[in-house]
Amino acid sequence: MSGADADQIAAALPRRRLPRGPGNLRQGWRRLRRNRTGMLGLLLVVLVVVVAVLAPVIAPYAPNDQSAMLHFGAQAPPSGAHWFGTDRSGYDVLTRTLYGAPTALVVGLGAMLIASFIGVAVGGIAGYLGGAADELLMRGTEFFLVIPVFIVILAVVRLFGVVVIGTPLEGVPFLNLGAIIVLLGLFGWPPLARLARAEFLRLKQMEFVEAARCIGARPRDIIFRHILPNALPSLVVVAALGIGGAILAEAMISFLGFGDPKTVSWGQSLYFNYQVLKVAPWAVLAPGLAIFLTVLGFNLLADGLSDAFNPRLKQ
Amino acid sequence: MTPLLDVRGLAVQFPVRGSDVRAIDGVDFAVGRQETLGLVGESGSGKTLSSLAVLRLVPPPARIVAGSVGFEGNDLLRLDAARMGALRGRRIAMVFQNPAYSLNPILSVGAQLGEILGWHEKLPRRRAAERVADMLHLVGITDAVRRMRQFPHELSGGMKQRVCIARALLCHPALVLADEPTTNLDATIQAQILELLQELKQRLGSSMILVTHDMGVVARMADRIGVMYAGTVCETADAATIFRAPLHPYTRALLESMPRADRSYRGHRVLQVIPGRIPNLADPPPGCRFHPRCPEAGADCRRLRPLPLEVAPGHVVSCLRRGSDGVAE
Amino acid sequence: MFAVVLVLGVSAIIFFLINSIGSPIDMLMADRPGVTDQAIAALKAYYHLDRGVIVRYFIWLGSVARGDFGTSITYNQPVGPMLVGFGLETLKLQLPAIFLGLALAVGIAAVAAVRQYSRVDFTVMTGALLGHSLPGFLVGILLILIFAYWLGVFPSYGAYSTLTPLWGSTFADGLWHMVLPLTMLTLFNTATLTLLLRANMVDVLRHDYIMAARASGLPERRVVFGHALRNAIIPVLTYLGILFGLMLATAPVTETVFTWPGAGLLYITAIQQLDYPVIMGETLVVTVMLVLFTLLTDIAYVLIDPRIRLE
Repeated sequence: MSGADADQIAAALPRRRLPRGPGNLRQGWRRLRRNRTGMLGLLLVVLVVVVAVLAPVIAPYAPNDQSAMLHFGAQAPPSGAHWFGTDRSGYDVLTRTLYGAPTALVVGLGAMLIASFIGVAVGGIAGYLGGAADELLMRGTEFFLVIPVFIVILAVVRLFGVVVIGTPLEGVPFLNLGAIIVLLGLFGWPPLARLARAEFLRLKQMEFVEAARCIGARPRDIIFRHILPNALPSLVVVAALGIGGAILAEAMISFLGFGDPKTVSWGQSLYFNYQVLKVAPWAVLAPGLAIFLTVLGFNLLADGLSDAFNPRLKQ
Repeated sequence: MTPLLDVRGLAVQFPVRGSDVRAIDGVDFAVGRQETLGLVGESGSGKTLSSLAVLRLVPPPARIVAGSVGFEGNDLLRLDAARMGALRGRRIAMVFQNPAYSLNPILSVGAQLGEILGWHEKLPRRRAAERVADMLHLVGITDAVRRMRQFPHELSGGMKQRVCIARALLCHPALVLADEPTTNLDATIQAQILELLQELKQRLGSSMILVTHDMGVVARMADRIGVMYAGTVCETADAATIFRAPLHPYTRALLESMPRADRSYRGHRVLQVIPGRIPNLADPPPGCRFHPRCPEAGADCRRLRPLPLEVAPGHVVSCLRRGSDGVAE
Repeated sequence: MFAVVLVLGVSAIIFFLINSIGSPIDMLMADRPGVTDQAIAALKAYYHLDRGVIVRYFIWLGSVARGDFGTSITYNQPVGPMLVGFGLETLKLQLPAIFLGLALAVGIAAVAAVRQYSRVDFTVMTGALLGHSLPGFLVGILLILIFAYWLGVFPSYGAYSTLTPLWGSTFADGLWHMVLPLTMLTLFNTATLTLLLRANMVDVLRHDYIMAARASGLPERRVVFGHALRNAIIPVLTYLGILFGLMLATAPVTETVFTWPGAGLLYITAIQQLDYPVIMGETLVVTVMLVLFTLLTDIAYVLIDPRIRLE
């Protein structure tokens, strides 16, 4: 066989798919750029982040400024002085809406961080170890999936609020909000656990893990340096969706009146101003729109990321 | 003798990133009564698409843009949708490549097949069930009544294909299009299915177009053979001629590249390959589509597209080197 | 079996949490003048508050098993019938919303999937995505703003008119009040189901057996509805269970927006008033329903899809 033939054959051999490494990130980014919905989502999210960071700078009033009340200016429609009008208690709607952004982000990110830790840990262990541990952990996950999470959180938040009365904890700032965040995280991990488990199961069987094992890598290395980075894309997608969900959940909890009255959040604004919906709709519409855009942003981003990391073949 | 099916100048194209790709271009072939035509070629040669085009089932965004399909006095490409629907499954039927996927998994065998009879011949359910049972029996499924109540996933691969054949033959069609009917089956079952097709075809007096890339299958089953390459037909002739005296360089190369049991490959006899690769249809080679890989290519082969030439009764070749006229692109 | 453990577990958690906050009687009675200590003690005995927490839990469980959910502290009525009454009001909205959503989704998704990549398809996709992402309560608020306040066509709260019913008929009156909340729920349902169904249908329509059905001469409508849709809808039907759970869980929000006298609103009031028999009872019932639904969904999947059979 001549050398040319050997080259020919070598060129014709099917290429082995190499496992995804950090180079995948740049590829994913490039694909994301081409995805219009994903970019829109990213834009919205970035917008919210910018607003959150710059709120103190760009807000026309202080969030607790009720000076409008002084001259019967509460519930006033949008005007030159108050671009989004004033709300029921005389607050400037624009200011409150702007200041709601950092709250929302803290809630979303905080809840998701907690949920991610728990979820990935549970799912990862279940997926990696398999067997009895898997069964047990999955039962636990099922338990959390079936309970009416939202309802339970409402009850717990309220009860927590009551328990704290008269205790030294009462004076802690943002305690209620913190409680909400923790609860959302504590109840929000099952979807992440499910995904983590699926990913670990899938990746565990791949050849590069076997190869790592062959060269004597410790389980800890295998998990953190091989499996986890490859599972990250899918996890990030679910996490992005979760952030949106957490923000929405907090908005709903606050809207029902169980939120933290001392914080400025969009849900709280809705709660305060729902009574005066008829006469001052702007006070409700502004935070409502903010919630919508933020959650939409995260959802679209998640969708775009999902497409970017797992491109679906189009016909 | 007018052929049962007469395809002329068939062309199918679909858009790819703005421009149009001609998947098949200027395809002619004909099938006589009770005749089996084997359409052979590599993957991507357009043979499956040609048979789909006969039924006007080319999947969008691809569409038929030129040609005529003569069948029982009509040009199928000009027929209205209603009449075409009445033809499909009743006068022309198709057996697909992968039996595992061409049966609806959530309907029972009896239900799926009965539905066809109910639609075409308006048979009441009991009568339809009897006909289905008879047909299943005919394709070699012994306990037909039991099988009718089963679902596709409960049947073996060979049995599924038998069911698919039964489905195609339910209304005793004049023409059966078989697209690689044995490719996805075990080797032992392949022979059985081919025999079954042969037997049924004779019994019902149907014609058949057998699409395949397997020369062995075609040698056994086909009366006539059409060789396709890159969306065009290179050569058509009866089976004996194709195997014994092929004219077109591609046909020759194809036959040469088949490993043969009666040849020794020791010493310096190597497996013949056709050098190069199948052209990208979005950017086909100018002139004759085979010329980049053809050992006999000449200067004009690069400019002119060869037209079909009947060199002997029933033997058509499209090759400038064999005397065809060419047309500039 | 596991389901039972589940339910017990949840109720236990809630129970302990509630009881950890101290006696509700003390809190409720704290500022009321004229209530003697004896009365308080008597009340406590009546509600078994003088025993230990764990004991109380089992006492409660026992009475629940007999159908007695206790008496609401706020309303002073037996909890059981209350749950039924309010529950029916809630279901009055939820059930039609699901079925309507499904019916609409089937029609829309079928049209969109068949015309994949067309303008119709893109419109449908965008619309569905929007409908799915819009927070439900926002939709509700907008509906109230536009149709109740500005246009004045529909009532903005309640399930029934307090004075004269519409057109003199309580039935018509009830329907009239249902329109806005039902629209809000149906919108979300339709959007979500359409997204799912369309994706499935696009997938199914690519399969060989669809091509084979067409090749057998069956008319396009029968292929789409009898073959493609039938296959595509299987995962959707099972999703209905999850959807119902979602709807139920967000019922408090829906009912707050429209001041709809259903079980959700009851729950919120109960939490605010620390009416723990109601809280306990309702949590239990809802959890049981969700567990039941999950089981039913699993069973339904086995029944509908002949490929899956119980081992």
